[in-house]
Amino acid sequence: MDVPTTRAAAQARKVRGSNKLRFRVLPIVEVVTFLLLLAAPFILAERTALVTLMTNIVILSVFAISFDLCWGFSGIMSFGQALFFGAAGYVVALVGRDLDFSQLLGTLPLAVLVGGLLSAALAAFLLLGRKTPTSIFLAFGTLTGAYAAERLVSGWQYVGAGNGLSSIKLMAFGSFEFVEGPAFYFVALAALVVVYAGSRVLVRSQFGLVLAGMRQNEERLAFFGYRVQMFKAVMFILAGMIAGLSGALYSYHQGFTGPGNLGPGLSTTAVIYCLFGGSGTLIGPVLGTGAIELLSYVLADTDAIRQFWPVILGLVLLVVVMFQPTGLLGLIVSARERIGSFGLRRQAR
Amino acid sequence: MSETDRTRGITRRHFLNGAGALTAAGWIAGFTGGWVLRPRWAHAAGPIKMGIATDITGAIAPSGNANWQVAQFAVEQINTAGGILGQPIELHLEDTASDPKIAVGNVRKLIQERKVDVVLGGITSAMRQAIKDPIVNRGRTLYIYPQLYEGQECTKFLFNTGPSPAQQCDRLIPYIMKTLGKKRFAMPSANYVWPQLLNKYARKVIEANGGEVVFEEYYPLDQAEYSATISKIKDGKVDCVFNTVIPPGLQPFVKQLYESGFQKNGGVLSCVYYDENLLNYHPAAEMEGLISCLDYFQAVDDPFSKTLQQGYAKKFPDTKYLFTAGSASTGMYRGVKFYEEAVKATGGKLGREEVAAALDHAVLKEGPGGGAAMVPGHYHAKMNMYIAVCKSEGGKTRYDVIDKADMVDPREC
Amino acid sequence: MDFAIKFAFDILAFTSVMVLIVLGLGVIASMMGIFNFAHGELVLLGAYTVYLCDEYGLGAWSGVIAAPIVVGLVGLVLERTIIKRFYAVPIIAMLGTYAIGLVIREIVRGLLGGHYKSIPEPISGSFSAGGLDFSIWRSFVIVTTMVVIAGSWLLLSRTSVGLRVRGALENPMLARACGISTARLYALTFAFGAALAGLAGALIVPLYQLSADIGIRFLVQAFLSVMLGGVGTFEGPVLGAVAVGAMAAGLPWVVIPVLADPLVFVIALAVVRLRPQGFITVGRL
Repeated sequence: MDVPTTRAAAQARKVRGSNKLRFRVLPIVEVVTFLLLLAAPFILAERTALVTLMTNIVILSVFAISFDLCWGFSGIMSFGQALFFGAAGYVVALVGRDLDFSQLLGTLPLAVLVGGLLSAALAAFLLLGRKTPTSIFLAFGTLTGAYAAERLVSGWQYVGAGNGLSSIKLMAFGSFEFVEGPAFYFVALAALVVVYAGSRVLVRSQFGLVLAGMRQNEERLAFFGYRVQMFKAVMFILAGMIAGLSGALYSYHQGFTGPGNLGPGLSTTAVIYCLFGGSGTLIGPVLGTGAIELLSYVLADTDAIRQFWPVILGLVLLVVVMFQPTGLLGLIVSARERIGSFGLRRQAR
Repeated sequence: MSETDRTRGITRRHFLNGAGALTAAGWIAGFTGGWVLRPRWAHAAGPIKMGIATDITGAIAPSGNANWQVAQFAVEQINTAGGILGQPIELHLEDTASDPKIAVGNVRKLIQERKVDVVLGGITSAMRQAIKDPIVNRGRTLYIYPQLYEGQECTKFLFNTGPSPAQQCDRLIPYIMKTLGKKRFAMPSANYVWPQLLNKYARKVIEANGGEVVFEEYYPLDQAEYSATISKIKDGKVDCVFNTVIPPGLQPFVKQLYESGFQKNGGVLSCVYYDENLLNYHPAAEMEGLISCLDYFQAVDDPFSKTLQQGYAKKFPDTKYLFTAGSASTGMYRGVKFYEEAVKATGGKLGREEVAAALDHAVLKEGPGGGAAMVPGHYHAKMNMYIAVCKSEGGKTRYDVIDKADMVDPREC
Repeated sequence: MDFAIKFAFDILAFTSVMVLIVLGLGVIASMMGIFNFAHGELVLLGAYTVYLCDEYGLGAWSGVIAAPIVVGLVGLVLERTIIKRFYAVPIIAMLGTYAIGLVIREIVRGLLGGHYKSIPEPISGSFSAGGLDFSIWRSFVIVTTMVVIAGSWLLLSRTSVGLRVRGALENPMLARACGISTARLYALTFAFGAALAGLAGALIVPLYQLSADIGIRFLVQAFLSVMLGGVGTFEGPVLGAVAVGAMAAGLPWVVIPVLADPLVFVIALAVVRLRPQGFITVGRL
């Protein structure tokens, strides 16, 4: 047994002890959220409009998670996540229109690939190379990327220019076609579960430990010999793939995709979802998306508020940034728990 | 870690989580309960639900608001006269916000929540393309599109009550070429489907009459700098600009064209969607001499049209949204009245197939600019077409009608 | 030849407005090290002020004069209340100012009812010179910009306030040690940058249309100009603005217009990537 042999060691032990997680709130939040999500279509049976709303929430949560992976876990302020979201949406719409193909087992992986390739290209341009970019340049580079893509697509006739692409071929599995409803909801939920589980395993692994170190102090980590930019690039690409998946699902669900799905506007919405819910915890973005979309739906019918809803959203972002940077979850999750624990610890003996 | 700490911790945090979950569940239950209870959404036979999906905000708002007001006006007339076979029409409005992305979500609400029997709306072709799928395919609902457009919309259950390219160009372009003597055309256009297909048709007519299209160019909708275009117009000695640029790029273009002295040197500006509403968005001097071809102008001397205008002015005194043709208002009026005729013909049945079958050959004896008749099997309507020229006097503009063609065939589908 | 002159004149008018916007942004970035993502919306506010004055019968002219004052005051208030918290963390500053910009933009959108508005030029018409027609208003824009630039340069180089500003620009710590109140200087600088943006908005709005979205476009172009030109000097952002303005106006001649638009941004971004410090470098970023 470790018997404290010196006073210093005893004090160190005490400090370590007080840092231990008293009680983990996150797992409870996660379980409750997923149970609710699972039960939703059964509770809402008849109200198709609400099932549609929940499906949108689930799809957009995946999108918000992709932003969280960038900002909450890797410190990349990406103002252009929608670029991958929208691009994948366009690709599946085009594949449906030109190749008459919409089998989800084919198009969803394609969407992931598109997201991954685009983000790899952007990462190579912005992140890698001899000179380390400043965080401002990175943020601005993603913003410009999204903005330029939106302008490009707005003018390109093949992809429908300003009109966008409508009447998108319905997503299919074999001969079953998915329209808005419980079937689509469960596909989206499955995607969320897979993405969530995968991300959670990743950020709680030793890889995640490196990311945590990066969040604390990038320079120090670089001095340890870790290629920080590579890690960032990997996370960026992963986030891009996830954004692509959600973009394809959104396209199929709405039946419409336009330049707005690529631009800074939608990217900022992801930022708001994530920050509001609580970035740096994967369930935060899900909660944030749900809260904001539900509120938006409820308030949309009240004329007076509807016009000013985006103002409210902007104010929410401002308030969160200024006063409660840890978002909603920050109110109940301790700082220690936010840091998390990482995989199998190799004890020094 | 002591036992007591643990229990204390569980209690407080557990409570918060539990409370949160319960509230969420209660909220959702409240939703479902609330809507089933409210009688407005009862499924028993009730009013006829008509959905209007138009641009109340955004760049196309001037036309959208006119549409909405005309719809209210037409429906009020029908309801005051006892409704359609005793059933009143209930109007439901959703704002498509001149943004297809928002429109898709809002139109879906009309279909899924309000469960309307028919949707009228969409102004730009971009909007129509975006919302026709949620309405016609996924929503399995009837859709009436009221605006002038580029043609080739032959979707089942989608009826068009605005003019087609044939109706607009077949007389206008020969008039410009023969009577005004202009042979060299320029086609500055907004970059989307309506200008592209309209230009294709117009080009055929121009070349068939011995004219020449000097250039045809497409710009982003919000383009503000047109110096390159103006210089091409000057260098190419263009004498007629067949404009399909739409707001927001429209105002800078017209201003820059005027400032370059195009009209001063005898050039003619022609624009087939220009009506009285749009005249108000430019200084009078820039509009002098503009030539347009529509299914109705307020200057048309027709007793029924005049009565309509008076009724509209009474319902909406001093409104800036005029009852005009270019804003799809005439198409909206026609659409509402065609629907009334069709439901009368089916004996009050509102099912999509029956109403569509009746709509297919609906006839209006009277309307703005004259009557109209759907061409069976072709989803489009015959209507009177007028050519008009804008005159400005003392800072005010008006249209002078110079030509009329009766019941022109749309030649579509 | 005629055409080239006219063309150059039009580019000059557009670039002048860009320069005004970029000057404000650049000065804020150089001095405080934060990028003001709300700058585009400050331009929008200037344009909106002119619209309001026109709507309420005060005439567009009073709007043009009032705009820099109004927007400068707004900038001052914003800086004193919100922005000063962000100086330590530039990334959060970006988010925060973006949020402010979002709020402003959506408020204006709500007030405009989502419509696009046209505002008449305070001095309309054109004058002839050498057989060519030049718009009077565009000439006014160019002249005003030159006056403002000259005035700012004189202020910076010849006055004691300007000396303090330059000092704070080069080395804030030392400036504070010398007793210069950097807090007040920051507030003044931000207000000045905002006033410039407001003036730019007021000047440009008769030429383009007023809508809630004009801010974003100017923001992205302004940022690129600042990054291209380099942070930390007066001339840098101005040069950057000229470069971006010329590219934006000139590229549509070389490639089709729909491709030219995004190409400007891609090229500018590539240049910044290759030379992160910009054309002329001195100072922080």
